[in-house]
Amino acid sequence: MKRKIYHMAIAAGLLLTASPLLFSQDAYQKKREEMVQYQIAGRGITDKATLNAMRTVPRHLFVPENLRSRAYDDGPLPIGYGQTISQPYIVGYMTEAIRPKPDFRVLEIGTGSGYQAAVLAKIVDKAYTIEIVEELAGQATKRLQKLGYDNVQVRFGDGYHGWKEHAPYDAIVVTAAAEFIPPPLVEQLKPGGIMIIPIGSPFMVQTLMLVEKKGGQIKTKSLFPVRFVPFTRE
Amino acid sequence: MPPLRYALAIGLLSAAVLAFELGLMQIFSITQWYHFAYMAISVAMLGFGAAGTFLALFEERLLRAFERAFPLLLFLCGATMAGVCGLAQHPAIRFDTYLLFNDFRQAYRLLATYLLFFIPFFLAALAIGLAFVRFSRQIGGLYFADLLGSGAGGLIGLGLLGLFMPGELPGLAALLPLLGGFIAFQGTWTARWRITAALSCALVVLAIFRPPRLQPSEFKGISKTLLLPESKIELERSSPYGLIQAVSSPALRYGPALSLNYDGPLPVRKALFSNGEWVGAIVPAPAPGQVHILDFTAGALPFRLQHPGKVLALHAGTGEQVAHALAHQPLKVHMVEANPVIFSLMRKELAAETDSLIFHPAVEAHQLDARTFLMADTNTYNLILLPMVSTFGGTAGLNALQEQYLMTREAFQDIWARLDPEGMATISSWLDYPLRNPLKALATLVEVLDAEGIGEPQQHLIAIRSWGTITFVLKKAPFTAREVADTRAFCEQMSFDPLLLPGLQSGERQQYNQLQDTFLFGYTDALLSPEREKFYRRYALNVRPATDERPYFSQFLRWKSLPALARQWGRQNLPFLEIGYLIVLLTFLQIFVIAAVLILLPLFRVGARRQVSGWALAYFGSIGLGFMFVEIILIQQLTLFLGRPIFATALALSGLLIASGAGSWYSSRWGAVSRKAVLLPLAIALLLAVYTFLVLPALHGAVGLGTTAKLALLLLLIAPLGFLMGMPFPLGIRYLSEKNKGGIPWAWGVNGYFSVISTALATIIAVELGFSWVMILAGAAYTAAGAASLLISKP
Repeated sequence: MKRKIYHMAIAAGLLLTASPLLFSQDAYQKKREEMVQYQIAGRGITDKATLNAMRTVPRHLFVPENLRSRAYDDGPLPIGYGQTISQPYIVGYMTEAIRPKPDFRVLEIGTGSGYQAAVLAKIVDKAYTIEIVEELAGQATKRLQKLGYDNVQVRFGDGYHGWKEHAPYDAIVVTAAAEFIPPPLVEQLKPGGIMIIPIGSPFMVQTLMLVEKKGGQIKTKSLFPVRFVPFTRE
Repeated sequence: MPPLRYALAIGLLSAAVLAFELGLMQIFSITQWYHFAYMAISVAMLGFGAAGTFLALFEERLLRAFERAFPLLLFLCGATMAGVCGLAQHPAIRFDTYLLFNDFRQAYRLLATYLLFFIPFFLAALAIGLAFVRFSRQIGGLYFADLLGSGAGGLIGLGLLGLFMPGELPGLAALLPLLGGFIAFQGTWTARWRITAALSCALVVLAIFRPPRLQPSEFKGISKTLLLPESKIELERSSPYGLIQAVSSPALRYGPALSLNYDGPLPVRKALFSNGEWVGAIVPAPAPGQVHILDFTAGALPFRLQHPGKVLALHAGTGEQVAHALAHQPLKVHMVEANPVIFSLMRKELAAETDSLIFHPAVEAHQLDARTFLMADTNTYNLILLPMVSTFGGTAGLNALQEQYLMTREAFQDIWARLDPEGMATISSWLDYPLRNPLKALATLVEVLDAEGIGEPQQHLIAIRSWGTITFVLKKAPFTAREVADTRAFCEQMSFDPLLLPGLQSGERQQYNQLQDTFLFGYTDALLSPEREKFYRRYALNVRPATDERPYFSQFLRWKSLPALARQWGRQNLPFLEIGYLIVLLTFLQIFVIAAVLILLPLFRVGARRQVSGWALAYFGSIGLGFMFVEIILIQQLTLFLGRPIFATALALSGLLIASGAGSWYSSRWGAVSRKAVLLPLAIALLLAVYTFLVLPALHGAVGLGTTAKLALLLLLIAPLGFLMGMPFPLGIRYLSEKNKGGIPWAWGVNGYFSVISTALATIIAVELGFSWVMILAGAAYTAAGAASLLISKP
């Protein structure tokens, strides 16, 4: 009898320990679905691959533990070192804007938490990502490996130089812009390739800009100002 | 006469309070933004007000223990002055401005910071107030010591800022109250006293030799730069102008808004930061024949149109534009910069990095505020270069309340007057959303052309747009057909788009850089049309040019547009559009409420019990408000006159306080209810009217005087005003000590309350109505005080 009670106690303990995890995983899945439904698709993102990727990538595993409950909130979150994980809508918008295809080779400048790279990795063949903050690069490498994103390569270094060994790229996603657009990045873009850059701090009004390399000319196109939600201007 | 030891202790304490306050303003400017300097002033004033109330509630008990309480308060004040900065920098308390609207926990941290800094001010004010009550009949002497100490404290604070790092300042300031405590102590050194004194001294020594490490907001430029690989702070210099730091990293590159057609390397440069914010890259003088990297920016347009002869670079910073101009072999480049530390570094420590740019035979350096230089200068130039407006990606209004005398309509008129007949002036702005900086820059240029009677402004203005910036070029003569053609060729070569150009076709405006909509073009055209005034009124943000009366170029918020902005951009986004002015408004509202709760509510109870008249309340409130208003306006006006903001602050603060101290001393000869005393506030109001309408405007005409003449003139200006303004408070206190002694702490508290709210209030009035109105209201406050004193003195 004693042994039975003992076993039952162990089973109950295991169940109790695991249950929050199970429940929270379910809760996160639900939150993710809602995020895609209301924040992404609800605001006009229609690219199926992008929507599927954002439905699959567990965003809560890319934010600091103390902010997990807010991982699917409609805004950016600090991840330390003065950096942020972008608002889900921005990630969705930037992903759709490069019109990703499975055979694409994409370069990301500014790995941060690795979330954008993970979303890209769900769609494209190969994603390369560079992070200038060593600690963030290390954390993102471990995180992406642990979550099984084998087609993403992370490098710690200065994004200015791009990643020449894997160039040219079909698309380049710059997650934090500087006062200049590095000439090596423009050079590593395929003819017909697209680069997308947010201009401005993530806590302020940002403008997303496309850089297109077409027929020997480089042209830019400002998309629209965004912050938390896309602005609708009269 | 009060015992000398108390006058001395109060003098030391007051000096420490002001030095600590100045240090705190600097520390807030480094760790957060300039706006929190208001918080430092408000917290100081709140401490003073709350101490008055505390005194009113516990007066008898405190007076009974005066001999012990007074030195104890001084020791505690020294200890807390030394300790609170370190505590406020603790990770559990440190707050971040940007996160205030994102993370509600930051609000608690802000409150904790408020409370921490409140303590030393409260203790200091309690000691001063207690002495005032104890020796109320000899208030003139004590008040003199208080004001003299404050005046000296201003100078000591500024001196310390030049000699020590900002983090060391609180500890150094804390030495003074400790010294005051030892001077005031008269009892026996029992074990308890010894421990108290030893612990206080230990804390102060610790704060001096192990000062807290000041951590700037992680969203400040320097924090982001220090995240770059192998980045390090190469050198640091503290001065009253701010903390200058030079940072290096192999990944720190320079090439702002370069054309995408530039395919060369971007040079690695060190950068200079002031209080954690970007000043400029440290650039070398160009080698002969070298193509300068800035030739690939829109800002290079004037160099394409004309060979520069005499160039004037205003607010030149590290000399980025000077180096660019030198690449085009000008005859002379006049480099104007107010911060002496930048020039000193360029002459010594950074001379090698800059290839001795400042010693270049064609460069003439002028260490002066750019606007003051313009007002005093009589030369003309072929090209005048203004600094870039706004910053990359916008600032969310963090510079909203910084007076920018170089960016006013009058300043642009001065620039126009300094141009040769064929001369050009140029200014660039980062594109921002919603559009505001480039629109206000354009509006200012257009209004200058209007004021100069130019019928066709389009013939005198060219604007071109890169992927992120707009460059405006203003020419005194109409642009020639060749210059128009050269502009088109330059745009084509660099993939830029013309925005304003004589004979421009609408299809030309977006050939290379397509915008999300065509609002920019519509707004630009509206500003050049007769509909300009209507556009100012209709546009959601304030893009009307700044003036010398309201020199807040970066203040764009219009309260009446808030509902429309909230609809258009989303209510939750408003703080991120224009955060600066909102912070000051929130500071004002917070302080308004907190001060009412801490100072006024308890006082009303005490006041009722002691039957202190409403007129007395009006009297002390009015002189508190009036004094602070005058002080703030004097600082602002003298900044423009002297061209050296820090001297202006020191002169206005210390000069006014010392002169007030002398006035306070002199007032002891008058009877508290004499006719002279009653009419004094009215005389001050009259003098303020003379200053507002005659003296201050005339001061602008005297900017060209030499430094000695200017200083003599300012002494003449400040001394009589300060002398008179120092008298009403001690006269009022003496009146109460004769008629109703119990009302003294109450008077002290009400005076403190109005001083608390007046700092932020003066700024809000200056932004909304202009400086003259702040002076007019100061005059009105003194008139009210005069009326109140008339009514009080009636039997």
